[in-house]
Amino acid sequence: MVFSYNWLQSFFKKKLPSPEKLAEILALQSFEVEEVAKKGKDWVLDIAVLPNRAPDCFSHLGVAREIAVITKSQLQVPKAKGKEEKSLLAKNFVSIEVQDKTACPRYTARVIKGVKVASSPKWLKDRLIACGLRPINNIVDIANYVMLDSGQPLHAFDGEKIAEKKIIVRFAKDREKIVTLDEEKYDLDKSILVIADPKKALAIAGIKGGKLPEIDKKTRVVVLESANFDPHVIRKASQTLHLRTDASLRFEHGLDPNLTELAINRAALLIEQIGGGKVAQGLVDVYPKKSVERQVRLELHYLNSLLGVQVPKKEAKDILVRLGFGVREKGKVLYVTVPTRRLDVSLPEDLIEEIGRIYGYNKVKALFPMASLIPPKRNLNIFWENVVKDILKEARFREIYNYSFLSEEQAKIFGKEYLIEVENPLSVEYKYLRDSLIPNLLVVLKKNQKNFKNIKIFELGKIFKKPKLEKKQLTALIQGDSFFQLKGALDFLFERLGISDAWYDDYQATPEDSPRSIWHPRKVAEVKVNGDEIGFLGELSPKLLDKLEIKERVVAFDIDFEKLETLSSEETIFQPVSRFPAAVRDLAILIPQGTKVVEVLNVINRAGGKLVRDADLFDMYEGEELPEGKKNLAFHIVFQAEDKTLNAKEIDQLQKKIIAALEENPDWQVRGR
Amino acid sequence: MKKIDLKLLKKQAQKELERAGDLRALNEVFKRYLGKRGELTQVLRSLEKLPKSQRLKVSKTANELKNFLRIRFDERLEEIKEKEQGEKEAKEWLDVTAPGQKPQAGSLHPLTQVERKVEEIFQVMGFYVAEGPEMENEWYNFDALNIPKDHPARDMWDTFYLKNGLILRTHTSPVQIRYLEKNQPPLRIIVPGRIFRHEATDASHEFNLYQVEGLMVDREISAANFKAIILEFLKRFLEKEVKIRMRPSFFPFTEPSFEVDMSCTVCGGKGCSTCGKTGWLEMMGAGMVHPAVFKAVGLNPKNWQGFAFGMGMERLAMMKYRVNDIRLFYSGDFKFLDQF
Repeated sequence: MVFSYNWLQSFFKKKLPSPEKLAEILALQSFEVEEVAKKGKDWVLDIAVLPNRAPDCFSHLGVAREIAVITKSQLQVPKAKGKEEKSLLAKNFVSIEVQDKTACPRYTARVIKGVKVASSPKWLKDRLIACGLRPINNIVDIANYVMLDSGQPLHAFDGEKIAEKKIIVRFAKDREKIVTLDEEKYDLDKSILVIADPKKALAIAGIKGGKLPEIDKKTRVVVLESANFDPHVIRKASQTLHLRTDASLRFEHGLDPNLTELAINRAALLIEQIGGGKVAQGLVDVYPKKSVERQVRLELHYLNSLLGVQVPKKEAKDILVRLGFGVREKGKVLYVTVPTRRLDVSLPEDLIEEIGRIYGYNKVKALFPMASLIPPKRNLNIFWENVVKDILKEARFREIYNYSFLSEEQAKIFGKEYLIEVENPLSVEYKYLRDSLIPNLLVVLKKNQKNFKNIKIFELGKIFKKPKLEKKQLTALIQGDSFFQLKGALDFLFERLGISDAWYDDYQATPEDSPRSIWHPRKVAEVKVNGDEIGFLGELSPKLLDKLEIKERVVAFDIDFEKLETLSSEETIFQPVSRFPAAVRDLAILIPQGTKVVEVLNVINRAGGKLVRDADLFDMYEGEELPEGKKNLAFHIVFQAEDKTLNAKEIDQLQKKIIAALEENPDWQVRGR
Repeated sequence: MKKIDLKLLKKQAQKELERAGDLRALNEVFKRYLGKRGELTQVLRSLEKLPKSQRLKVSKTANELKNFLRIRFDERLEEIKEKEQGEKEAKEWLDVTAPGQKPQAGSLHPLTQVERKVEEIFQVMGFYVAEGPEMENEWYNFDALNIPKDHPARDMWDTFYLKNGLILRTHTSPVQIRYLEKNQPPLRIIVPGRIFRHEATDASHEFNLYQVEGLMVDREISAANFKAIILEFLKRFLEKEVKIRMRPSFFPFTEPSFEVDMSCTVCGGKGCSTCGKTGWLEMMGAGMVHPAVFKAVGLNPKNWQGFAFGMGMERLAMMKYRVNDIRLFYSGDFKFLDQF
């Protein structure tokens, strides 16, 4: 909110610190000042008044009060009330009926007769302009001026345009219409409070005036309104109508009902002085339940304990008094009376803040807490996250952080079935929550393809699925036709996590799934540990990549991190290393193309028993030289015993046994013996 | 039998040894004197034929000569080998300024690195690292934190609403509530995590970002304690001496509330473009836990005091690595990521 430096100065006899200096001291003890700008002969300060201080500080008077406290200066408040004309009685010009006293706790009106509507004097215009308001005429300008000065929004009606001289504060009827001062039409509803006469709505309460009772050049009788409205009612109406004004902003933060009187008197006096006319006698005031000052009990021990500094009692009291609080002392307790303008103060903690900021937080010295020396527990989720990230880094993957959102375009390509939609998305780019990390990782891959080769990336993050599922997922991509490279990386990960029984199963998408499956239908495995599916490994569907205009093949694994983490273990059990030498024999076998490596391995291991320490596939070949429909596998078979050196004869026998077992299958043929 | 002149033999052998310039020549010399048929070998063999009186004397001299030649021969062998190696090396050369071949390394995202550092420092000070959901309900995100519905204070957090009735958390503060519900104080936690703000992005604003929340509750925790903990954290994190200052602020879930500024790490507080010429950088919002928060989790505010704070992880990263655009963290651009 912008404030005029000259205006603030008008509250003080003493010269204020320079605008920059003022900004600095305000920032340290009251509010941050976001900008200081010169505007003609004035300076404008953009002050970020804290939301809880809006009731007393959305006004020059309020900020001046803060300055007075901080700089220990005397505040000069201008005279508020002028003379009243005894021959005119306000109540003869207007009567008030408030139908809902919760929505409108106070309604105050004054009447000024015989005004001359004209343009405002220069000083008044200048101050309005400095604060970003457009001068209109002397009456309207004075209402606005007093609002900026005191914080109380005012409204001026042409008294002769009010039917039956009667103002009614009521909720609007359904579909009741109003045309506002700026000639906009609004459809109202039952939740919106209006100021009306017996015939029509005259204004949207606390938000904007209507066109009908507008002040114009012919206006002679001004009815001034200074009212207090319920913050929720005004906030709701403002949101419903999409209409925010200087008035609604102040009302929705709450205002002191006692402020209406001070403001209306000041406005009436100014109208008399500037616009001519006589102020009719009497304040028309509907104020059934008077707002009274609160009492707050503050223990001095608590003050010092919460701030961690000993504030001298005298100083604490002095600060409160300067801020306008009443203080009564009883032993080690202060009984504090809170002025009604301080809607934000109701607890001892609120008072501690007031004392603390004026006393100066810089006087609070750093002091380590006294606490028991208990080392924190380890958060296992975070521990395993770190372990997994380190392993993948070691396996030469780059870690990526993507947004948690998917675009409409991505949703169309990857499927919307599980997507949670954002009610108020920033744009169509971020319309859904991601239900998979793959789409955005593919964007990263595509973006970097031009400049980098052999891209290997991963992300560990939350995914979201309808209706309310949120879980951590671990996903990695490799560029190129590199299924086995990624499978190796996944095995490496399992090994490091102490997971020994991972298993890759053929995966057949169900017919409902298959049309928009992200996987290549023939190159995907279900990853299982202890028989439980924890994710997928496979090549991404070429159709999908084509739609995304990614030319190369891409292989991915997509693992449920929460399952992975529960399977992981830090335990490493040492396997004794045999002291006896190992012997290696090679074995090549011709098998049908559809036969799996694991089937062959199973036979080798079963036949060889414990003495086969390892059977390592080093070549897999399908080619023209081979009979049609066949492929050749070549293994290094490592023989080793724990308790002796195997001699050549023993090894030959074992090898023969393995070959015999393999050839029990008529379609399998061991080669090159 | 001819007279054996061992002196002459020694002289000759010595001369030839010195003259031999390569391994082959040296080998020839060895053969000539010490080989099976070498001159000295023959002399030694012929000693048997000498009368006993002479034999002892000559034998001694001949054996001495043999040992002498052996040693000398080994020395020459070393000399020649060294010389030949030297010549070989002199012919080789490589250009040490030519570029090396870097291994393609993996990398951790800078925010992961920052988060680890933050966690490490706070864990050393006894803080437990807690987590919470990114998809929240309004009770945890707002109401329990003393931010009532239809209150202008809610406008401080621009919120993403979801069609399933939940929202995306606008801060990590809901985890204060979730943790306090399940754990009895005294306690100290930090909560790193992803948060969301419904606002337009620019070089210093993101709608998808990371925050770290802190909470310490005990019988007599003070603002002075907060200052000590956070100062220690900043010093360790930035690995340099820094100053902080606290300014009044407003958060519905803390009272008093502070804004914490740190002396600018670029200019050291003199004022520069990074700190907008103020010498200070805004670091975090903080404050003393509001009694309404204690009440919301069923604790008696009379028995407990605490501080809470929240700071942006990206801000910490930007400060540490001098990154000038927050959007880079989510760009997925390897040219950015490969620098960490």
